[in-house]
Amino acid sequence: MSIVGKTATSGKFRRNRWLLTGVLSLYFLYTFMPLFYVITAATKSNPDLFSTFGLWFAPDFNLWDNLHTLFTIQDGIFLKWMGNTAYYSSISAAGAALFSTFAGYAFAKYSFFGKKLMFALVLGAVMIPQTALVIPMFLMLSKLGLTNTAFAVIAPSLVFPPGVFLMRAYIDDAISNELIEAGRMDGAGEVHIFSAIAFRLLMPGFTTVLILAFVANWNNYFLPLVMLNKPDMFPITVGLAQMYSTAISGTGGVLLFTVVMTGALVSIVPVIAAFLIMQRFWQGGLGAGGVKA
Amino acid sequence: MAVIELKNVRKAFGAVEVIGCVNLTIPDGAFVIFVGPSGSGKSTLLRLVAGLEDASAGQILIDGADVTQMGPAERQLSMVFQSYALYPTKTVRQNMSFGLEVARLPKDEIEARVDRVADILKLGDYLDRKPRALSGGQRQRVAIGRAIVREPVAFLFDEPLSNLDAALRVEMRVEIAKLHQRLGATMIYVTHDQVEAMTLADQIVVLDKGAIQQVGTPMELYQRPANLFVAQFIGSPKMNILAVQPDGAAVAFADGTRADFGAQVAQNLSHIGFRPEEVQLLDEGEGQLQGTVEVVERLGSDTFAYVALGALGTVTIRMPGNVLNIAPGQRVGLGLTLPQLHLFASDGTRLS
Ligand SMILES: Nc1ncnc2c1ncn2[C@@H]1O[C@H](COP(=O)(O)OP(=O)(O)O)[C@@H](O)[C@H]1O
Ligand SMILES: [Mg+2]
Repeated sequence: MSIVGKTATSGKFRRNRWLLTGVLSLYFLYTFMPLFYVITAATKSNPDLFSTFGLWFAPDFNLWDNLHTLFTIQDGIFLKWMGNTAYYSSISAAGAALFSTFAGYAFAKYSFFGKKLMFALVLGAVMIPQTALVIPMFLMLSKLGLTNTAFAVIAPSLVFPPGVFLMRAYIDDAISNELIEAGRMDGAGEVHIFSAIAFRLLMPGFTTVLILAFVANWNNYFLPLVMLNKPDMFPITVGLAQMYSTAISGTGGVLLFTVVMTGALVSIVPVIAAFLIMQRFWQGGLGAGGVKA
Repeated sequence: MAVIELKNVRKAFGAVEVIGCVNLTIPDGAFVIFVGPSGSGKSTLLRLVAGLEDASAGQILIDGADVTQMGPAERQLSMVFQSYALYPTKTVRQNMSFGLEVARLPKDEIEARVDRVADILKLGDYLDRKPRALSGGQRQRVAIGRAIVREPVAFLFDEPLSNLDAALRVEMRVEIAKLHQRLGATMIYVTHDQVEAMTLADQIVVLDKGAIQQVGTPMELYQRPANLFVAQFIGSPKMNILAVQPDGAAVAFADGTRADFGAQVAQNLSHIGFRPEEVQLLDEGEGQLQGTVEVVERLGSDTFAYVALGALGTVTIRMPGNVLNIAPGQRVGLGLTLPQLHLFASDGTRLS
């Protein structure tokens, strides 16, 4: 990649650029191939899925049929799953982003007893995957009789340590201490300063954490798998996995393979949309708070 | 309108004492400037007055009332920050009215006050703009406007002009002086620029290492600096300082030259100082010190000569007008008279 504008490029740089482009292209293929496979597979009929070349389209374009089957199978349970996923991940993401913002603001702008230790704990928590905590959380919640509820999926997801870390760094940068002090001189209380002055400035950071948390929760599999056992409460991930296992065991009929593929394709559309939205924020938003006004 | 008193105020950050026992009274309506080098504690002292920092010890009184335990808003002071600290997402009008809305003033009163202040500061055309659409000077005005609308008992400024370019800085300096005359309010102003201090202040407070070095009018500081630090900090070009030793009734310079000023000098004399205009340029062999002109600067209004005194270093001499009969390389004598000399003891304090 070259810097835009007129620059003197040496021969060595040009050779390196070809190498870099080559490596990046390979990496692109490597990451794009599975996605492409999902796209082609979703357009095939079940026999074609096994009889035609995996990385290209079959002569018969079967996507509409597959979509129809996907949304009508088992009385439209897929739609129910989509709704569940949207519900769990939007509440979780909104909560996680809000808590991350509060915590990040406190870490960035206040000094309090035990701050260093607490932030070290947050950093430590970033390293621990949620998966490792799912079983203990299940045991806890089942004691309270709270498994098989939306709460069991949402409550653990409100804790999002990477969000706290990101928001602390972002707020450090985007909100000057003098701005907060100007608010204090104007007589505003801390909550008022946060809501009336600071929050708008940290929106780009907030949105980023919101979307990261949204995607993480949208794709979350293990937590709902453990917490839920009623099919009509499943999110897409757990539902499709169950459909898939039915398909390989052969009990549900071979038809299910294409349905699972189509379901996978449909389920990633919102994630892609979320990233496109986030990109807009990164381009237009992140700088806005940094301007010294 | 307020008298601000600091009594034995100290401030430490952890184990580091940044302000050590400050006693100061700022009279009602005065324009007081805290001046000192970077890191001398000016901002910290101002923030203690503002209530943005808690004093480690001592008392702060406004009009006789102890405000040491009060928050910034209760003290009814306004502050203008170095970075302006305008609310970036609010318009100029919203920036100025925010504090009044917090204080729950009636809407029409807020509008009237903002309009009046916008008028004083010539901000009327920009009221609907966001800070990012303003120039540096306009942002500065908004920051000042935000301070004025609240009608505080005193104004605090922390290096308000240091983000402006040189021409604008002079312009705003004059405007702040006019504003002080117009409002008649107590103002405390922090700067590291001694020219700003000399031109604006009724009273200058010179700070170094968290301690007050001297309090006085600009002329008192210029004419009778209390110690070597103030002597060298106030005045541009700097005061010339030479190390000396008493030698009977005369003084001996570090290179052994003796000078007799015709009067007894104190036995603990260790430095003499003279401002560039307090020394006379004479022919070679005359006066107390001999040297060679190194550089001559002609400003039209003044002529500066830098004279090398060998082991004693270089001194600066200022002569009014364009002095034609000097040139680099010329040997000259320097004439000093005792009444014009600033004498300092070995601990740096002023003698006489
Ligand atoms: N919040 C703080 N924590 C620790 N030290 C501080 C803090 N604020 C200021 N200081 C220290 O106090 C001294 C004086 O700072 P300051 O008042 O900002 O100086 P000035 O405004 O004169 O440049 C400096 O040495 C600075 O490092
Ligand atoms: Mg400062």
